[in-house]
Amino acid sequence: MRRLTTIFVSGVVLTALVFFMIGCPSTDKTAVTGSGQGNEAFVPPGKHDDFYAFMSGGFSGQIGVYGLPSGRLLRVIPVFSQDAEKGYGYSEETKPLLNTSHGFIQWDDLHHLQLSVTNGEQDGRWLFANANNTPRIARIDLRTFRTAEVIEIPNTGGNHASPFITENTEYIVSATRFSVPNEYSGNTDVPIETYKENFKGALTFVKCDNKNSGEMSLGFQILMPGFNYDLSRAGKDKSHGWFFFSCYNSEQANTMLEINASQKDKDFIAAVNWKKAEEYIAQGKGKMMKASYIHNTYDESTHTAKSETLTDVMTIDPAECPGIVYYIPTPKSPHGCDVDPTGEYIVGGGKLAAIIPVYSFTKMLDAINAKKFDGDFNGIPVLNYQAVLHGEVKKPGLGPLHTEFDGKGNAYTSFFVSSEIVKWDIKECKVLDRAPTYYSVGHLLVPGGDTRKPHGKYVIGMNKITKDRYLPTGPELTQSAQLYDISGDKMRMILDFPTIGEPHYAQACPADLLKKNSLKSYKLTENKHPYATLGEKEAKVERKGNDVHIYMSSIRSHFLPDNVEGVKLGDVVYFHVTNLEQDWDVPHGFAVKGGADCSELLLMPGETQTMKWIPKATGVYPFYCTDFCSALHQEMQGYIRVSPANSSVELKANTLAKK
Amino acid sequence: MKKIGILTLTIMMVSFIGCNSSDNKAENNAQTGTTEETAVTKTKPSYGKIQHVDIKPEIDKAMAEQGLRIFDVTCTSCHKYDERYVGPPLRKVTQTRTPEYVMNMILDTETMIDNDDTVKCLLQEYMLKMPNMQVDEKDARSVLEHLREIAQQ
Repeated sequence: MRRLTTIFVSGVVLTALVFFMIGCPSTDKTAVTGSGQGNEAFVPPGKHDDFYAFMSGGFSGQIGVYGLPSGRLLRVIPVFSQDAEKGYGYSEETKPLLNTSHGFIQWDDLHHLQLSVTNGEQDGRWLFANANNTPRIARIDLRTFRTAEVIEIPNTGGNHASPFITENTEYIVSATRFSVPNEYSGNTDVPIETYKENFKGALTFVKCDNKNSGEMSLGFQILMPGFNYDLSRAGKDKSHGWFFFSCYNSEQANTMLEINASQKDKDFIAAVNWKKAEEYIAQGKGKMMKASYIHNTYDESTHTAKSETLTDVMTIDPAECPGIVYYIPTPKSPHGCDVDPTGEYIVGGGKLAAIIPVYSFTKMLDAINAKKFDGDFNGIPVLNYQAVLHGEVKKPGLGPLHTEFDGKGNAYTSFFVSSEIVKWDIKECKVLDRAPTYYSVGHLLVPGGDTRKPHGKYVIGMNKITKDRYLPTGPELTQSAQLYDISGDKMRMILDFPTIGEPHYAQACPADLLKKNSLKSYKLTENKHPYATLGEKEAKVERKGNDVHIYMSSIRSHFLPDNVEGVKLGDVVYFHVTNLEQDWDVPHGFAVKGGADCSELLLMPGETQTMKWIPKATGVYPFYCTDFCSALHQEMQGYIRVSPANSSVELKANTLAKK
Repeated sequence: MKKIGILTLTIMMVSFIGCNSSDNKAENNAQTGTTEETAVTKTKPSYGKIQHVDIKPEIDKAMAEQGLRIFDVTCTSCHKYDERYVGPPLRKVTQTRTPEYVMNMILDTETMIDNDDTVKCLLQEYMLKMPNMQVDEKDARSVLEHLREIAQQ
């Protein structure tokens, strides 16, 4: 630990020295130590926070929901990973949500989040999240804070520039971070060194039923040159209809990208006119291709998810459809690509850059009209850098990554290498303030800071390195985040709090937008689960060949039936448990000894869930409630007896035979 | 944890209330079928949001039938007609309690548990708070009609 600290301190000193030498403004001492008041983030017991913050859990595949300004963890929403605390991916009903064309995937890497918007403002309906590893986009219902839908993205590797959305949630995009051999060519078994000829970078526009259910479907896919597409943002207001994707590796290296993809001084931001792409497709210029991808949907009335395989993908080639895509040269390994609330300014981040380039949408349109091109790449025009540049922020820090906005003409950019958040004036491209982060900030967040109507008030830095910020917990540490008040001229740190996994991007919205819609329980009268036990009279056991179905109810504090006999070795037992409670916050748990396939469920009031339980030996197995429910919770238990395969014990259970 | 806390508090409060024989008598009446206290109980105002229920002398059969459906889904896990289960038997409940009491136990459960002395004594006896099953007023009224009907059977 001491050695680590020493190394770390040396690093900080070195960074500070570098700063000193390049003559950046000195860091604000009060910001370093925090405001010292320590009570501005305090929310008294029993009081609610002002904002919900949704922070990606990164490699946990989940989303952490926090209150702001307290930083209290309110819920973890499972999306792309099994989550034992919720039974997600364990119950028969939730397993289909993790299906892909590659089979059931237990664990994925969730990167970015987007709240649905209408007219560029948060509307509080859905939250979208991307799976980076096996490319998918999920939609979370903000009435239930549960995953409602997952769609797989074909012909893509590493879905990173996702799930960014257009200003009326018309489209959610996906873009390939790792270009891959074109799936539609019929042959993906190609030598890796044929990258330049065989690998493509797909930009996918996923359509959202934005007026109704929110359900997603593949709109179209633009087949781009094989670069690494990294991050993206939709245009807004005047630039609505355009989408901007940063990309690196225009060298098209397929090995040692650390060196080989950093050869050129500039890579690109791809400006995509998606409305024009829609026009081309309407004119029949697209090509329908065949693929295999999975669409998973959760039905709230049956409490059950289902998977279906889809095959059609509409594609479009930008080289054959002029006017869809232009490349904007962007220096030093572009990363973030953020559009200000007015839609006029596009801010580029460069992982190795020492400036921040700010592009003007108006100038871009002028440059396109005047054909101010510096050649093309595979038929895609490359715009002249100076012609589209609004300005460069000079000496802002080292390694600008991401930018958020406060709606007052200011931008906040995170700097990984120099470990700080820098506030700057968009029009003047002038640095106004800087605050250190602990340590090595990645993404940052202003509530609504990516929309047309930012709520300002706070910025949160989400850090990649935690080191000594909290009590040590062995080699594995939680992640650290810092909350700054930005209501004044200077940023002031008011809270330092741990977050789960590795938060990449995050979103926050006013609490009032969501809390009034929050569901309290599932109505029994609306429960259409085919195996629901709606009242104890419906409790029963049934044998269908080797399958045994137990229709079981749970209520404070007993299960019915709670004695089951006549199960034989070789049987597959399905416990269909319905929680008959209708009161808020009265879940029941259900655990059966020895369930190697699934051994626990968690049931919200009114909900039915199913455990598939395959006994491996004869005997009597206890089961019980795992979620403390009443004074007699300890009494909430039962037994299931398993007899030999050739046993003559009849299947029976103590159901309600009499009134 | 919070539930234990609330329960403990409730028990402490209950311990200050004398649960005398007249309180328990109502329960006994339910089991034996006597109705001697009916008139007395009905004069008491009820806690909760329902302050008056219109009751006709004859049973509304259609309403009672709907009430049975609701009763089977939401009530039978804890109540039987003639024997003690998780909660008290209910065959004679409409003869020992006012319609307002029955309606408020269904619709405004928390208020009744917190305020009504009879309910406090029942809690002491059964040690489990009746949950609010989120039944709407129309359905609660139909459950009352079903309970009136079974009282006659």
